[in-house]
Amino acid sequence: MYLLIVGGGKVGAPLASSFINEGHEVFVLDNNPDVVASLQRELGMIASIGEAASVRALQDAGASRADAIIATTNSDADNLAACQLAKTNFDVARTIAIANSPENAELFERAGVDLVVSATDLVLANLATALPAHPLIRLMSIADRSHELVAIKLPPAGTSIGRTLSEIRLPYGTKVVVMITSTGQSKSPDSDPIIEAEDEIIALSPTNSTAELWELLTELR
Amino acid sequence: MNVIIVGAGNLGSSLVRKLSDLGHKITVIEKNSKAVSLLPRGRVDSGVITVIHGDGATGPAMLEAGIASADVFIAATGNDSINGLAAQRAKTIFRVEKVMTIVRDEGARILYESLGISTINKAALASDQLVSVLTEEA
Repeated sequence: MYLLIVGGGKVGAPLASSFINEGHEVFVLDNNPDVVASLQRELGMIASIGEAASVRALQDAGASRADAIIATTNSDADNLAACQLAKTNFDVARTIAIANSPENAELFERAGVDLVVSATDLVLANLATALPAHPLIRLMSIADRSHELVAIKLPPAGTSIGRTLSEIRLPYGTKVVVMITSTGQSKSPDSDPIIEAEDEIIALSPTNSTAELWELLTELR
Repeated sequence: MNVIIVGAGNLGSSLVRKLSDLGHKITVIEKNSKAVSLLPRGRVDSGVITVIHGDGATGPAMLEAGIASADVFIAATGNDSINGLAAQRAKTIFRVEKVMTIVRDEGARILYESLGISTINKAALASDQLVSVLTEEA
């Protein structure tokens, strides 16, 4: 595949290097000559100086034959413009952008960016995973952020412990996907399993009822 | 009309002055506190022109500028991408009826026009005018 990366900084540079290792053809566009020089030193002639949001620069970088464009600059405005210009002017099949500010994620999606990566969400999810005591982890947003996949770790002594799954009145629209015991065994919701202490519940939840779901499952006795 | 203008640089401040002369209620969002010196001081002091200090491409700054009751939103910073982001947020998130912007890149003009945002290419406009003056003289 031919992948056009806009922004060769903290995200763009390692991304370029890993795509090259996987055998893809990569080109990086960055407006900072120092960044471009360093990429050329490390990875060869796969980078040039150019503005993210310029049709001319995208054209010179071969946008018309790119399979995907990945916008990773630290300017959300440039990331959005690069994706939109690539789509409208060069018909690039897949546009991917980092939203550095969480409020831009929704706007990017509405503006037609195919895949929006919210930097804040990623950091939060990773931090949450690293903190074992954290009982709620948002794994991913689904369907225009109307739903999300969440993991909720049950406390050792909650009101839901010892009951079966069907006895719990989950918020409307919530669907438990799988339950995982503290020893790593999985329990299917179809078998109406008994909820045990420190189970982890993976559920598809309407985004606006996740807080309610969390309160319900982690309420202490 | 309630008009929000993002950017109080040369173009933005001249726009603010002219629209304010016509009696419109103007709110300006400007990141750089020094740029505000280009605005008509008396009208800023008397509150005829409101100045919000902030990033005009962000939701909080737009809300502070009263976007819910804005009739017109004009993104007039010197950065095409920021103008595009601000204009799209005003249009799709806040549903402002009339959204306008100014860009330098012709590709950007076509893009934003296609999204229902009235867009002026500053460079093309200036060169068109120069050419028309020259042809008139000839």
